[in-house]
Amino acid sequence: MEKTGVRKNKEGEIWAIGGGKGGTGKTFITSSMGTYLARKGKRIVLIDIDIGGANLHSFLGISRPKKSLSFFFEKGVPLSKLALKTGIGNMYLISGDIHSLASDSIKFTQKLKLFRHILKLNKQYVLIDLGGGSHNNTIDTFLIADKMIAVLEPEIIAIENMYHFIKNSLFRKLKMSLRSYGFKEIVEHMWESREKYKINNLNELIECLKNSFSYIGDILDEELSKFKIYLILNKVRSSQDIIIGSSIKSIFMKYLGLETQFVGYLEYDDAIWRSIRERRPFMVNYGTSRSAKEIETFTENILQGSEIKHSRN
Amino acid sequence: MLRKEYKKYFDVLEISPDASLSQIKSAYLRLKRLYSAESVVISPIADEFPYKRRQKILKQIEGAYTALISLSYHGQHKSSYRGESLTSKGGSEDKKEKSTPFSGPVLRQIRKERGIGLYEVALDTKIRVELIENIELERFEVLPQEVYLKGHISVYANYLLLDPKKAADDYIKKYREWKSKIEEE
Ligand SMILES: Nc1ncnc2c1ncn2[C@@H]1O[C@H](COP(=O)(O)OP(=O)(O)OP(=O)(O)O)[C@@H](O)[C@H]1O
Ligand SMILES: [Mg+2]
Repeated sequence: MEKTGVRKNKEGEIWAIGGGKGGTGKTFITSSMGTYLARKGKRIVLIDIDIGGANLHSFLGISRPKKSLSFFFEKGVPLSKLALKTGIGNMYLISGDIHSLASDSIKFTQKLKLFRHILKLNKQYVLIDLGGGSHNNTIDTFLIADKMIAVLEPEIIAIENMYHFIKNSLFRKLKMSLRSYGFKEIVEHMWESREKYKINNLNELIECLKNSFSYIGDILDEELSKFKIYLILNKVRSSQDIIIGSSIKSIFMKYLGLETQFVGYLEYDDAIWRSIRERRPFMVNYGTSRSAKEIETFTENILQGSEIKHSRN
Repeated sequence: MLRKEYKKYFDVLEISPDASLSQIKSAYLRLKRLYSAESVVISPIADEFPYKRRQKILKQIEGAYTALISLSYHGQHKSSYRGESLTSKGGSEDKKEKSTPFSGPVLRQIRKERGIGLYEVALDTKIRVELIENIELERFEVLPQEVYLKGHISVYANYLLLDPKKAADDYIKKYREWKSKIEEE
């Protein structure tokens, strides 16, 4: 599951779009970022990995694809054969379905095989729509990405779910990397005997690991510094809402030591559901709207690794 | 060298080192509000990130703000022991600095002005709390030997963004005066 080394070609990137709560706009945003980038001339593959709720095609105005990821798992059909035209030049869609990544129907080895094949999709931008929830399969897919993108609504349940999602992702990431350094059981052991060590949360676990084993401290610092979240705030209705993005950025840094790029926001816009009803991609139909500009802004920020301007005041 | 020290204050306030005074102020107010009140971003993790923990962060925020504000008022500010200013490249301050000898009480006053607690200093500099306090209160009779003392003073002064060499020299001078007086008696 090591992402560097496998992908030698630096022309493309894998973006994973998650965040924990359902309905925050992940699929809409994935389809819109893809459309924008494709029309800019990038080669795009969208992968819909949403367990049970694969619906990316609807946002592009195409009908439910007959071929899906279960062909890959069950019949060994290569990903390239599953990539469907989307009606937008340069952009292809690999669709998921209920069987593809459902919690228990997929074996660990199958999952790794899928990851290997995704990592081999060279010279293109691979945008993975993860769906909601914090299932391990979802989190593991999130972690293979070059850019981990979280979509959030300015609303308490979405915030709570995202904290959960990010903490679980970080916990898994730390476990995986310590394992690859040969410290297989340490994290689990400490977590399981957390009462003895007086560990109540992830932050204290990290502190405790660092204090107990200095060599692990270096690994953890390294991993923490590499673990970067790109945050998009969706369905924004006021400037008060936008501050939530900066606040979460601050909390992630000051509480967990995580760097977050608050890349931008998208206002609540009725034209978005209208465009789904009209079965036309939003970025094509409403390309000049203010919301389309907002989507362009955060997509560019993700692309360039920069942040929203004036996010702090 | 001092400029690099300021960087950590800008980091605490989450602004870039070229931030204006008003940006410093609004960043400070925003963060202070964020970590002192319950809100939609705090309450979901309030149990693992309680006010007690946040208070530590608030203190850092206060400290960073105090340090940066006093820095930007540099020049018109009454104090003259602040070392290099943000804008000037230093050098011009030498004269002023010479006029204010460092002493325990001066160090204590600067520390308090910058909103830094004794325990914070101890945590960051690894100097024991009692020792810092003894240095500040000039309890010469319980201070360690001169070589060690000198090291501690310069670490402490550096931490407060002061000229470590001058601080150590001034302090040691006072210390020696006390010592020779004792020996006479
Ligand atoms: N900025 C917005 N303004 C108005 N409606 C929006 C906005 N963003 C998304 N929506 C609407 O919210 C609904 C959910 O969006 P979407 O399906 O993209 O969410 P999701 O995060 O992918 O959900 P799930 O977790 O179920 O996969 C859709 O009906 C979509 O049209
Ligand atoms: Mg979805």
